[in-house]
Amino acid sequence: MIRRLLYAIPTLLGISVIVFFLTRLSPGDPIRIYTFGSQTITEDDIRQLRAFYGLDQPLPVQYVTWLLGVVRGDFGMSLQYHQPALGLLLDRLPATLQLASAALILQILIGVPLGVYAALRRGSWVDNAIRVFGVAGHAVPTFWLGLLAIIFFAVTLRVLPSQGLLTVGKDQSDIVDRLRHLILPAFVLALAAIANYSRYLRTETLDVIAQDFIRTAHAKGLRNRTVVYTHALRNALIPVVTALGGLLAVLVSGSLIIEQVFTWPGAGQFTYAAARAKDYPVIMAGVMLASTLLVISYLIRDVLYAVVDPRIKAR
Amino acid sequence: MATTAQAGTLPAIAPLRRASAGLWSDAWYRLRRDRLTMASGAILTALIVLSLGAPLIAEYVFHTSFEEQSLLKAYAAPTLDPPGYLLGADEVGRSQVVRLLYGGQVSLFVGFVGMLMSLTIGVGLGLVAGFFRGYIDDGITWFITTLNSIPLIFLLILVTTLFTPGAITLTIIIGVLFWTGITNFVRGQTFALREREFVTAARTVGASSGRIMFKHILPNVLPLIFVLAAIDVGTIILAESALSYLGLGIMPPTPSWGNMLTNASSYFNRAWWLVVSPGVMVFLTVLCLYLIGDGLRDALDPRLKGAD
Amino acid sequence: MKSTRAMRMFVSVLGAASLVATACAPSSTTPPATQAQAETPVAGGRIIEGSFSDIQRLNPATSNDATSSGISGKIYDALVNVDAKTGDPIPWLGKWTVSADGLTYSWTIEPKANWSDGKPIIADDFVTRVKAQLRSKVTPNKSQFDKVEGAKDYQAGKATSISGIKVDASDPKKFTVKFTDAFCPALLSVFGAAPLPTHIFGKYTVDSDITKNVDEAPENNNPPVASGPFKFKEWRKGDQVILSRNESYFLGAPLLDEYVLKVVADSTAASAQLKTGELTVNLIQPSEIADLSKQDSLKIYRWQDPGYTYIGWREQSPTATFFNDKRVRQALAYGINMKDVLQAVFFGEGTQMFSHHAPVSWAAATGLNPYAYDKAKAESLLKDAGYAKGADGFYAKEGKTLGFTIVTNQGNKTRETFLQVAAEQYKQIGVKVNPKLEAFEALVPKLTGGNPEVEAVIIGWQIGAEADSYTLWHSSSIPTPEKGGNNFVFYKNPRIDTLLDTGRGPDCSKETRKKAYQEFNQILNEDQPYNFGISGNRLLATASNIRGIDPGSFSPTGEWNIHKWWIKK
Repeated sequence: MIRRLLYAIPTLLGISVIVFFLTRLSPGDPIRIYTFGSQTITEDDIRQLRAFYGLDQPLPVQYVTWLLGVVRGDFGMSLQYHQPALGLLLDRLPATLQLASAALILQILIGVPLGVYAALRRGSWVDNAIRVFGVAGHAVPTFWLGLLAIIFFAVTLRVLPSQGLLTVGKDQSDIVDRLRHLILPAFVLALAAIANYSRYLRTETLDVIAQDFIRTAHAKGLRNRTVVYTHALRNALIPVVTALGGLLAVLVSGSLIIEQVFTWPGAGQFTYAAARAKDYPVIMAGVMLASTLLVISYLIRDVLYAVVDPRIKAR
Repeated sequence: MATTAQAGTLPAIAPLRRASAGLWSDAWYRLRRDRLTMASGAILTALIVLSLGAPLIAEYVFHTSFEEQSLLKAYAAPTLDPPGYLLGADEVGRSQVVRLLYGGQVSLFVGFVGMLMSLTIGVGLGLVAGFFRGYIDDGITWFITTLNSIPLIFLLILVTTLFTPGAITLTIIIGVLFWTGITNFVRGQTFALREREFVTAARTVGASSGRIMFKHILPNVLPLIFVLAAIDVGTIILAESALSYLGLGIMPPTPSWGNMLTNASSYFNRAWWLVVSPGVMVFLTVLCLYLIGDGLRDALDPRLKGAD
Repeated sequence: MKSTRAMRMFVSVLGAASLVATACAPSSTTPPATQAQAETPVAGGRIIEGSFSDIQRLNPATSNDATSSGISGKIYDALVNVDAKTGDPIPWLGKWTVSADGLTYSWTIEPKANWSDGKPIIADDFVTRVKAQLRSKVTPNKSQFDKVEGAKDYQAGKATSISGIKVDASDPKKFTVKFTDAFCPALLSVFGAAPLPTHIFGKYTVDSDITKNVDEAPENNNPPVASGPFKFKEWRKGDQVILSRNESYFLGAPLLDEYVLKVVADSTAASAQLKTGELTVNLIQPSEIADLSKQDSLKIYRWQDPGYTYIGWREQSPTATFFNDKRVRQALAYGINMKDVLQAVFFGEGTQMFSHHAPVSWAAATGLNPYAYDKAKAESLLKDAGYAKGADGFYAKEGKTLGFTIVTNQGNKTRETFLQVAAEQYKQIGVKVNPKLEAFEALVPKLTGGNPEVEAVIIGWQIGAEADSYTLWHSSSIPTPEKGGNNFVFYKNPRIDTLLDTGRGPDCSKETRKKAYQEFNQILNEDQPYNFGISGNRLLATASNIRGIDPGSFSPTGEWNIHKWWIKK
């Protein structure tokens, strides 16, 4: 366990190196992009600006400077906003977390029952339908689904807003308004995961049903329903818990696209915009934040896995 | 977006012998009876044939090319006359259906070739890591964990901003970033298999490591790799369409299903059919691929014998 | 794709970014033509406008981007403004006179102009702005005040005050500014810089200490006082910026309660929201007119704009050597049917451009060659230039096909379609065009750096009231390995250089400048360093119950008189 934690540090370092050099090596000068509209800027000014942000140092020096800053909690100043990069991201993190948690809740509430139900009714048309949905929900491009959802619910039916966090004129305390804005992106984000979950659950439930101890219970004469609901469900839930960790990963990556489509002011979309504008400090902070979340989620998953299934620990 | 978290769902393989006619003919028997999978296979084959035949179809069926513009007919609604506008016309009057076919070429190319690349890298590294263990394994595992810990979409975005992508560069980029799931799986399998008697036997007769890996272990791992492969093609096509939608993948005027979606979304109010068709193509293709992957897995997994 | 930056066009002219649009002289109000006589303006209501990007920095001294400037321009008014219809500079927060030698401007600030907290707007506030900007380490406009005497020394820390600016000891609202040389664009560029409240920002600039500056002041993004029609209320990061009415606005309190800027993904989303009423004001693309004009709830305003979208031909290119020949460039003008482009790309909303200054500008020339579409003439010019049509249908000379790549930025539908159409049309006169798209962020450095990869480019200039275009056309603006520049078509013409210099001074009378620009436009029309393309109209879609809108060519947003807008209930 401690070993795992220690393992995470070189991983994060490795990530930072990869991302750092990837961003710096790509063509394009952020200072030029940022100052583009200015008529009065001279070449000297650009040089001064680059020096101010430390961009004229050799790359390894820049990396070390960055790393030393990070150790102190300072991820540098955004080139666009001239405010602390980490602060800008943390400002927008709650929005992403809202979205991710809503999606997580939807996944479990909808995905688990679907999967178990399909396994219980194996071979029937319901099973087939859920099985197809399980695959189809995963096969649909999320951004396309988002676009279609907006057009259908927001533009044609006009029952839901098309984007953003809140309607103009309302504020955070208006829960109904917040939920109205949250439901569409959360659902689109969760869809692939709901599909995934239902397949997963179906497989696991089927596996559990086929296992020996269930057969033994059958032999003992226990009623089918009791057998399934008590034994199968309990065992099938094990992977649900462990898969939570992996799901965080999907959410972090998927949320970027959903945030784009729905103009949800979250950290994912902010990092993407920074990548386009070559705002290096924000890119580094954003990717490191996402990666750290991911690493933590893998750790949690591994821990849960070991705790919940003692057979794994013995390996 | 699907990740190769799929790997975690696959059960361990039971067969203790080398890949023989038995496993495959059993699997094929099961597969043939799985109507859903067979239907998917047929649709996919049809899509591939249509895409490959795009130049011919464009000329003989629709009598137009994918670049031919006709400004007067921009945004034409779907109509049978002229046949080229079967699915409507885009903003400069090009035939949507023909562009879809050509777009299929690009998307399918990126999907299949990207998968082949990541498969090659993944299987190779997985075998090596699982077989040799020790430092090599530690190193590869560390590298995998590191790569896996960066959300894939970020990695793709960062890398595509480095190079102006065309179909080839994009394929290489994706191929080079997608192998981690396969490696993990192959590594796990190799780990388990190297302890078996047939490996020990091979060693005692003096077979080299390479020979053991490729002639003994690989064939046992191969069947389920096909499953992963099918799923990966689907995932890659989804990734390409997402990237092209963001403007980082295939650039117009080369059509790809993804960038036809970027293009059309701004004209949604005028010609919604332009948005529906590329999305449906991606969906259909990926759906078939996933169903085939699913079907293969069900067919190859003896534990579910009799389940269908 | 929803690249927010790509939707913006180039900003080209000095000071244009910081200028709020115009009004007539404050004392009179010309009723907009559309207003019915029976309707009486009532106070109340809010305007919701869309934007493709969020604001970044609200202090005009440290920022440059269009979105931030749009908002800071509503909070801070400037000394001078521009008449929306004519483009002439007009007194705004203050009145000025110029000395005979054109070097000294004397200003008197409006007696009733106060900050929203009641404190008077004084000369020191202008000085505070200049000082803050000079000492800022992050401003993209470091050289805006270069021509003010003593500014450079102050900036370098060699002086503790700006020698050229003198505040009148007896009247805090009076001051003079002396320039190092007579520079015509200075009026708009220097005095278009909005004053900043000394009682808020003054403390951040320490005359004797060059390390102290306004860059990280918390009041930057939370301005407590305003001189413009609106004051800052709230910034919901990534989502909305909310401004509320400034009751003490010197032209009278605006009728609107609030102005909200809402971040939207792209023009599709904006149109969808205009239809549902989530947005009530937005600039739209020509492609959306057909759909939005069908809505009863919306009204569409259109007006001519001085900016334009063009095709630039890179001269002195290592690969595209044919652009050095004027005949080839002229052939390319005759060989494209601009009426088709106007229809297909701009949906008819625009005017053809034949030279740099648009017909609405006072500097525009008459009697220009319209290069009416003439395939035969185009091909005969190519033949004159020594090209012969090959078997493949394309012209070639000495074994080299007349072919090149035209690049434009991905994400801008108008430019992408223009590119497709141009490629197709040129193919028909035997010129092989390879269309290419690139991300805006990748393309911009290539252009301003003079990267030889760029052979031809389709892009646009956003032009304001200032007629000077030195940075686009002067030979010193050509990019070199040491410095970047906006004359990235590498156009070099000594006569043009002279005319541009004349336009900048020392004689700043309209007659002299107009004469110079006439000839300037005629030469450009003849030389065709660009195919000057189309000046697309500005199109503003608004809720039909908003009154008071009266757009003019020199107000890019149409909001020059937003303090007079009102909403009919």
